[in-house]
Amino acid sequence: MIRFLVIAISVLLFYLEPIFGLFSPVELNSDFYVLVPRFLIIYLIFVAIYYDRKRAMLYGLFFGLLYDVFFIDIIGLYSFIYPLMCLVASYTVKYIHQHLLVSTILTLLLVAGVELLLFLFYTFIGIKTMTFTYFYQHNLIPTMIANAVFLLMFGWAFKYILLNRFNQKALLLQK
Amino acid sequence: MPQFFSNKRLILLLVGMIFLVALISFSLRDRNHASLPEQLIKDVVGFGQSMFSKPTQYITGVFDNVESLLNTYDENKRLKVRLEDYVTLQASVNDLRLENDELRKIVDKEENLRAYNPIQSTVIARNPDQWEEKIIVDKGEIHGVMENMAVMTAQGLIGKVILTTPYTSTVELLSTQNPNYRVSAVIAEGEEVFGLIEGYDEKRKELILKRIDSEYEVKVGQKVTTSGLGGIFPKGILIGEVTEITTDDYGLTKLAYVKPAASFSILDHVIISKRTITNVDGTDGGNTGADLLEGEGDGS
Repeated sequence: MIRFLVIAISVLLFYLEPIFGLFSPVELNSDFYVLVPRFLIIYLIFVAIYYDRKRAMLYGLFFGLLYDVFFIDIIGLYSFIYPLMCLVASYTVKYIHQHLLVSTILTLLLVAGVELLLFLFYTFIGIKTMTFTYFYQHNLIPTMIANAVFLLMFGWAFKYILLNRFNQKALLLQK
Repeated sequence: MPQFFSNKRLILLLVGMIFLVALISFSLRDRNHASLPEQLIKDVVGFGQSMFSKPTQYITGVFDNVESLLNTYDENKRLKVRLEDYVTLQASVNDLRLENDELRKIVDKEENLRAYNPIQSTVIARNPDQWEEKIIVDKGEIHGVMENMAVMTAQGLIGKVILTTPYTSTVELLSTQNPNYRVSAVIAEGEEVFGLIEGYDEKRKELILKRIDSEYEVKVGQKVTTSGLGGIFPKGILIGEVTEITTDDYGLTKLAYVKPAASFSILDHVIISKRTITNVDGTDGGNTGADLLEGEGDGS
């Protein structure tokens, strides 16, 4: 049961992202703020930290590829960034404590990293011309706030499920 | 980390990077055409996506209904005032339509740039990272959607279809930064003034109508519609309202800022317009005319 829960949550989050995307951009005082839902990568980073690095990277590659093909038609962008972030997360966690608060902050930093990489990529290929200050004020900050809220609401649940699965697997290996 | 950069890993990393760059450049080069595996993935993911987005739209619909119920009294008052105007307007529209039909019969001209078959469709996803202004709708090739068709809401034009698969299609919104995105437009109040919608001002959130002949007078508040002369879009879809007029960089033609009539931020139901008159190939306002030389199309 809990075995399928790990993949089921990632499928669910993958489909929920564009639905939350429909509510953005948000208009506030006649200024538009872009909130990008990054639920899937947040979850995958948690998988990398608490469960299994290889599995996280594999999921990252798979969902990244789906994301590339379905939404942005540039193959190789998300399918590179997602596994990369999982890798970075699992290597960093070796040197720091696995407390929930620490991994929350790490995850938020990595999500900001994803946004920055995308900003650099799109500026480089010239699809969108945007100054860094505009990006910082209208994309990065609102996105980070929205994702922080999501993470604070569901971070503990992810940790609970993934650690349970990890222990279950460890128990099976002992037998 | 000495083990991390061992020879095997380094080679793997390099090969991965090369593969990645190759893939990205491949998919950037050919952006208007989905290959077979891409179409397959798009259709499968699109099917799952509509499973998720339809219930969500139902729920948001309920909330909208509650909200409009709360505003009923105010709205009713305003609508009652308008109702009387509406009756007279309706009468004159009917009259004009009849007259138009009769005149068309007299001159034997059946085809009309305005005529189109609407394809109703539901937005199943918006590109969640929002770097490109794209939405994905649940109607595709088998419903008759083709590339470059105009897409609109009840308020006005919002974009055009850029990519189709059998069951889904991708729509690029007017608010894109894509420099090759043109829509031929007309300001038809009094005399007809033609121009091209080229580009979108991110700061003002307004479209830019370029190449207006400087001999013509354009006023703030005039309505801009599609002209139908671009070869793809039907005539007479509302685009927006002129808010400011200046001259362009070279001072040869006029340039107007147009506030879009449709809102791009929350979209759920859109109409894809299939023009009944022969389509020209290429994009609206950027045709090559190649298929006109080959003779008439099938008229659909």
